[in-house]
Amino acid sequence: MATFPVPKPVPPRAAMPVAGKAQGLENLVDRAASGEVDAFEELYRENAGRVYLLCLRMCGDQSLAEELAQEAFIRAWQKLGSFRGDSAFSTWLHRVTVNVVLGDRRSTARREARIKPAGDDVPVDLSASVPSPGQALDLERSIAALPDGARAVFLLHDVEGYRHKEIARLIGVAEGTSKAQLHRARKLLRKALAS
Amino acid sequence: MSCYEWTNRIDDFLDGRLKAAEAKDLQAHIAGCPSCADEVASIRELRDLAAALPRSLEPPRDLWPGIEVRVSATKVVRGRFGSRAVLAVAAAVVIVSSVVTAYFIGRSQAVMVTVEPPSVVESGPSEILLASFKDLGVDNYLDTRTELLDALDARKHELSGETMEVVMDNLLLIDQAMDRIAEALGEDPENEFLMKQLAGAYRRQIDLLQRAVRMPAEV
Repeated sequence: MATFPVPKPVPPRAAMPVAGKAQGLENLVDRAASGEVDAFEELYRENAGRVYLLCLRMCGDQSLAEELAQEAFIRAWQKLGSFRGDSAFSTWLHRVTVNVVLGDRRSTARREARIKPAGDDVPVDLSASVPSPGQALDLERSIAALPDGARAVFLLHDVEGYRHKEIARLIGVAEGTSKAQLHRARKLLRKALAS
Repeated sequence: MSCYEWTNRIDDFLDGRLKAAEAKDLQAHIAGCPSCADEVASIRELRDLAAALPRSLEPPRDLWPGIEVRVSATKVVRGRFGSRAVLAVAAAVVIVSSVVTAYFIGRSQAVMVTVEPPSVVESGPSEILLASFKDLGVDNYLDTRTELLDALDARKHELSGETMEVVMDNLLLIDQAMDRIAEALGEDPENEFLMKQLAGAYRRQIDLLQRAVRMPAEV
């Protein structure tokens, strides 16, 4: 008889500290917060890959992902004064990035709603950009083909480790909607991966 | 409970959100139900695969030069609330005011889109902000704001999604501006300029809510 252990909630991966780098990173953040552009560049070098991939997965478009990643770093620079060190810098930057991407999605949706009929979205295949082998590559393709809402919730919950409460607040939906979107996304992905 | 009902709880089970007793019942069901066991295994496999996806990918080009240009052009306010912080507070309030005014002036010519109206979410003002309002002689800020938010919430299905979104976005912007003013006042409690800005932000926020509540129905 198979037994299934009760899973424990997984803390957001974005919140996990980077051992050994904390002191140097804190110093960099302090220097950047006092206006040192060189220090901020080091923070960029440290985090660019992660920020870019998050943007790419969320928006599914390479050039837009580049723009959004730039915007996320600029927003982070502008808001560094409000970073209090309650969480890791990477966690804070991650949330800034999610806000930038979701903000762009909202304004883009408003613009596009005026100029094109609903339902003609063509999902962009980002799998060619992500060096994942085998099944992971299929998953990347399937994620890229998800409807916007389901994709955002799946990425934030199952890939990035956010909880529904936080996703709901970030996206501006009810917690139940976030759960429903995750259920939908998982169902669609399992179907796509099985076919 | 039927398989269908259990299936709807498998996500919660796997994500650790079921209560212990429910999780135990579900485990017992799974043990005797191959279909639900497959469902659990399949979702678990997907979740594990997702969690193992790469977390970083270098951009195809170096994005720093573009960032550096803009970063260097904006030697922004840092958190010690010097004179530049005061100017930034003023700028934030002016921008918010302009956006709100432009929206309400221009909305008659705007092309409206129909989307699900967002709920009126009350995040609540900070303690320090409420203390600053007391210093300003505004004792009923919370009541007035709550009353207007309730009135707006009651009308949210009569207003277009875009209108609701603009109102809520600007409410949030004004909240943020107020928080910054309050924080700056924490550093410099006697600063008359900041007190005036706070009073102005308060008036703009109440004005925004009153205008939204009074708007004719759009939907």
